[in-house]
Amino acid sequence: MADRNIIEIRNLTKIYDLGAIQVPALNGLNFEIEEGSYTAIMGPSGSGKSTLLNILGCLDRPTAGAYILGNDDVAHMSDKELSGVRGARIGFIFQSYNLIQQLNVIENIHVPLFYQGKDISDYYDHCEKLAQKVGLGDRLDHRPMELSGGQQQRVAVARSLVNEPLMLLADEPTGNLDSTTEQEILDILDELHAEGRTLVVVTHDDAVAERASRVIHLKDGQVDKDIRKQDSDRKSENQFQEA
Amino acid sequence: MYALALIRIFQAGLKSLRLHKLRSALTMLGMIIGVGAVIALVAIGEGASHDAQEEIRALGAKNVIIRSIKPPSMREQMHGDWESFFRRWMAFYGLKRTDATRIKDTVPGVSRVLPMLTKRMSAVHERREVGCQLIGTFPYYPEFTQAELVAGEFLNAAEENTKASACVISLSLAERLFAGHNPLAEEIVVRGYESEQVFQVKGILRERADTEKLPQLPDSMGQTIAANVYIPLSTFKSLYGERNVDRSVGNLVLEAVELSEIRVEFDTVEDVLPALPLIDEALKAGRDERDFEIVVPIQEMVALRNQKARDTRMLLYIACISLLVGGIGIMNIMLATVTERTQEIGVRRALGATRSNITIQFLVETLLLCLVGGAIGVSGGWAFSEFREFLTGDSTIVKAWSVIMAFGLSVVIGLVFGLYPARRAAHLDPIEALRHT
Repeated sequence: MADRNIIEIRNLTKIYDLGAIQVPALNGLNFEIEEGSYTAIMGPSGSGKSTLLNILGCLDRPTAGAYILGNDDVAHMSDKELSGVRGARIGFIFQSYNLIQQLNVIENIHVPLFYQGKDISDYYDHCEKLAQKVGLGDRLDHRPMELSGGQQQRVAVARSLVNEPLMLLADEPTGNLDSTTEQEILDILDELHAEGRTLVVVTHDDAVAERASRVIHLKDGQVDKDIRKQDSDRKSENQFQEA
Repeated sequence: MYALALIRIFQAGLKSLRLHKLRSALTMLGMIIGVGAVIALVAIGEGASHDAQEEIRALGAKNVIIRSIKPPSMREQMHGDWESFFRRWMAFYGLKRTDATRIKDTVPGVSRVLPMLTKRMSAVHERREVGCQLIGTFPYYPEFTQAELVAGEFLNAAEENTKASACVISLSLAERLFAGHNPLAEEIVVRGYESEQVFQVKGILRERADTEKLPQLPDSMGQTIAANVYIPLSTFKSLYGERNVDRSVGNLVLEAVELSEIRVEFDTVEDVLPALPLIDEALKAGRDERDFEIVVPIQEMVALRNQKARDTRMLLYIACISLLVGGIGIMNIMLATVTERTQEIGVRRALGATRSNITIQFLVETLLLCLVGGAIGVSGGWAFSEFREFLTGDSTIVKAWSVIMAFGLSVVIGLVFGLYPARRAAHLDPIEALRHT
């Protein structure tokens, strides 16, 4: 496992200003995520899990602190810069797949390329390979409506890979799936991990967290437990209390 | 590279619009009707004014037409007293030969004066009889009216001097009276209430002015399309008297008119308008009632042109309003679309779309609605115009500026009314948008 950090979170704070009261969602969070790691972020509702997800996904900006993704502090970038970072460095996988209904499978995979200003026609083979990788090589011209939930999520996985992002960020990736399909998707994620990709999965599902090599538990906007497993079967209890 | 990206955006826009065909079609309807109406209405207006201007030009822009009309006092009901009875029964009115010479002598710029006498008669050849207008006039009548000699010759000065019994007939009379065979050198009988005269046909004349299409011009102008028999003025006078007496038996009316019409030709078009008060002045001398009217083709033309400008402006206002309504309809639908596609917007933002990407996407969709609607409207309006011309025979002229304006306006409306929904889409919070179901 490479020891280069893809993500460094330093004293990350998010306070929602509701006018009369200020609600802290994240209270000085600190952690790193190494390249090629598979991290699950867990926590009860209200723990700041969603807020962290939004910030990690560059959809939201922290009130204070640093978020270094790759080599840049993205915490205080402009909306336009963040859009570029999302497209180039992050591969999103959502709970509800979030494919674009009017586009077919291959076109859905194309979408992130377009926003990077790349000419789609140069990447057709690349996209087709990704579709094959997730087992949808024969359904390139199908619309999302014509696919099962599992198949849609595979398309979403292929789409998340198209720009070769630094990190795949999944939000309850199996939340809408039955247990058989859930296993299929998790197997694909395992495969991606084995390829050396960096995965961050936000979930409350233990079956999902089971697959990760590291589980970060959040509580009240702070890291509650940070558990690293040396490999998936042997559990070593590396508990870090909050810093 | 940039152009290619734009093509992709347009393709994506088309795809989104095709997803809701009915909705897109209904949204475009406002645009289609607005643009189509502009094209068709402008074409109809242009066509009508073109036709009218042609007619008026045919009457001669350098000409002024003065016609005898019954003065108001002779048109009123009889009051039972002898004077009014007599005035109605024996109506002496109208232009005199002295009027023609006075105009020629006193009004500057007049090159020629053409006096005319007319009388309703019927023309007979063998067994056919056709109602006609007998016109006594001078040899230069065709030049004045820009009528075209189809066959034979027009009356000449010698015939005028000798009061010859020669005549020229109009093309429509020739067609109706001779039905195919050559009328030249044939004889026709002109039959009136108490007279029958024989004339030899020496020419056929086609009148230029198709005055049926000129409803705003008074009725006797319509004589030109009707069946006409032209004879020398001198012949007319000697055969039917110095005065033109019309006797209608039923209501016992005698009318006496010395000249039915005087046509005045000026050297140039510019001379016409300044001379009008002088003509009026020349005619007023020796009259206590106005028993004539003056028709000025150039004035009609100017009036027509002004009216056309007014009509066109009005059309533009109406067009702008209907396009505005169409634009509001489109904006309304686009706002609904943005709401409906909030999640898609969130997804696109998450996948790296900037605000301007989203703005452009929705702007392009609105623009496409307007462009497609505009194109359909243009072709629809054009097709309607062609169809109308084919059906009614009236000229319908599609003007390039109306096409460009209508199309350009629909683009502008697309941009203006698309901007608000597009910006609203772009400024959605991506987190909220993603959560939206």
